[in-house]
Amino acid sequence: MEKVKNTTVSGIKERRNTFSANKYMYILLAPAVICVFIFGYAPLCGLLMAFKDYDALVGFAKSPWVGFENIKNIFEFPNFIGAIKNTLLYSSVCLFGQFPFPILLAIMLNEVRGKTFKKVSQTVTYLPHFLSWISVVGFAYSMFALHGPFNNVMVRIFGESYERTNILLESDNFLGFIFFSGLWKEVGWSSIIYLAAIAGIDQALYEAAAIDGAGKLKQIWHITLPSLRTTAVLVLIMNVGSLVTSNFEQVYGFQNVYTQTDTEVINTLVYREGIQNGEYSMATAFGLVQGLVSLMLVMAANKLSKKLSGTAIW
Amino acid sequence: MKRTIGTRIFDIVNITIILILCAMMLYPYLNQLAISFNDGRDTLLGGITIFPRVFTFENYRTIFKDPSIGSAFLISVTRTLLNVVFALFVTFSAAYAMTRKNLKGRKFFARYFCIPAYLHAGLIPTYILYRYLGLINNYWVYVVPFGFTFYTFVILRSFIQEIPEALEESALIDGANEIVVMFKIIMPLSLPALATVALWVAVGQWNDWTTTLYYITDSELFPLQYVIMRIIKQGEQVKQEALLAAMGASQSKAVTTSESVKASMLIITSVPIIMVYPFLQKYFVKGVTLGAVKG
Repeated sequence: MEKVKNTTVSGIKERRNTFSANKYMYILLAPAVICVFIFGYAPLCGLLMAFKDYDALVGFAKSPWVGFENIKNIFEFPNFIGAIKNTLLYSSVCLFGQFPFPILLAIMLNEVRGKTFKKVSQTVTYLPHFLSWISVVGFAYSMFALHGPFNNVMVRIFGESYERTNILLESDNFLGFIFFSGLWKEVGWSSIIYLAAIAGIDQALYEAAAIDGAGKLKQIWHITLPSLRTTAVLVLIMNVGSLVTSNFEQVYGFQNVYTQTDTEVINTLVYREGIQNGEYSMATAFGLVQGLVSLMLVMAANKLSKKLSGTAIW
Repeated sequence: MKRTIGTRIFDIVNITIILILCAMMLYPYLNQLAISFNDGRDTLLGGITIFPRVFTFENYRTIFKDPSIGSAFLISVTRTLLNVVFALFVTFSAAYAMTRKNLKGRKFFARYFCIPAYLHAGLIPTYILYRYLGLINNYWVYVVPFGFTFYTFVILRSFIQEIPEALEESALIDGANEIVVMFKIIMPLSLPALATVALWVAVGQWNDWTTTLYYITDSELFPLQYVIMRIIKQGEQVKQEALLAAMGASQSKAVTTSESVKASMLIITSVPIIMVYPFLQKYFVKGVTLGAVKG
């Protein structure tokens, strides 16, 4: 995974001496600097709204300060505790439950000998990644419709006495849908990084193991899996911040009138309270708490992995 | 390597599982494709698998007759194209500038670009900002905020770093300035990375409907994905009401059309990606491994 930089020391020195005028470089940087300032930093000032009682009539600057009032109040907000619980539940189940599958798929794809078969199956498994979440939801509604494939199969298995139901309309099934739809959409795509890591393993290791009499499964267990450890840790760290955020498109997409109240997550709550009901200050406070926790998680995970494996994002 | 019975069994099991997996990935799509070409009333009877039973173009005809679909298509296409050009220009120039080791303040800019990638203000502050900027219910909300993305920046920067410096140095000695060098030398050499990133931006834009959900209420500015979102979400409600009303004959007709229209819309919105993607797969994949070098 390491990259060797092509730059030579003498090259850098020479350049420093010959071209000191940097003005063109700053011209090139300017658009990005402006974009990031407006759309990355300016909204951060808006976070102050969490400490104000925002009144659209008088505007942001003139709204009165209320200190930590909003932050305190959010915990009494109906549904907020439920939203936190759902967020943590969905994200942790998805993060830890889904992460072995791309590794498994990568190993399986790697063991395929036919080049064409391998390529085609890669193309097919990567494909859902490029569909929008709302398309996936649309597929799901068709698959689980009363007379859709799922119910038809169930009737065939359990006979005509099986009662057709649309399981998408029960909030008990929501976690399952979030988990499996996420897996369906991303398992192929997430396997790419592991396939690349497998490609980097020294083939001599396998030859040596084969000579020592290790079968396929033993080779995978003792060579492939350990070699993927660093990559797996890195992937986990990169995603740990997502523990307190949900995939809005996915959750909002799968919600319907029957399941919405029971399956609210922080992101959907912020959208509904903030944009639909105009509770700006409150919704900002939700977002602020969520953002801070997420940031702390990322930093903690980074530190932990630095200690454990020496790999870190920064 | 010798092929023992063990490896042969392993291969068979392995390939079978992969085949099942591929079928699971393709089935929903093929099913919708079949429904989109199937007569609406016949679809209601259920049991459509991957072949249409009563073939018709009627569903697509209905959609293409709808003028709002045409305008939504136009919105989707233009915002995607504008975004690719704008985002690539902004991010690539910055990435190139940041590869120059003698750039004063390079460390500062690296931090400056990195922080917002981890520290988000959240939806509401962004919403308020957009209102100040007049971006609510404005077409440009689809383009302007997406000029710089940190991830794209990292990918492009690590790619440009691999280009031998001697190439640009000789041009600089010949009297070209850095902007000319960027366009004439660095950009052509970076085409593979640019293609990768452009594809990602394009797919992201084409598939985006939350921007519309948050910031747009004017139906003339709806892109295809948002239209389809509304069809799916409302379709479910309509269907449930119809079912609760014990499926009267007149209602079931409405249900049928919504089902076929939904299927056709799903196919229309995903066809551009599905047609293009297999041919460009290597560019898509390259981006993942490039990005993996330095998250």
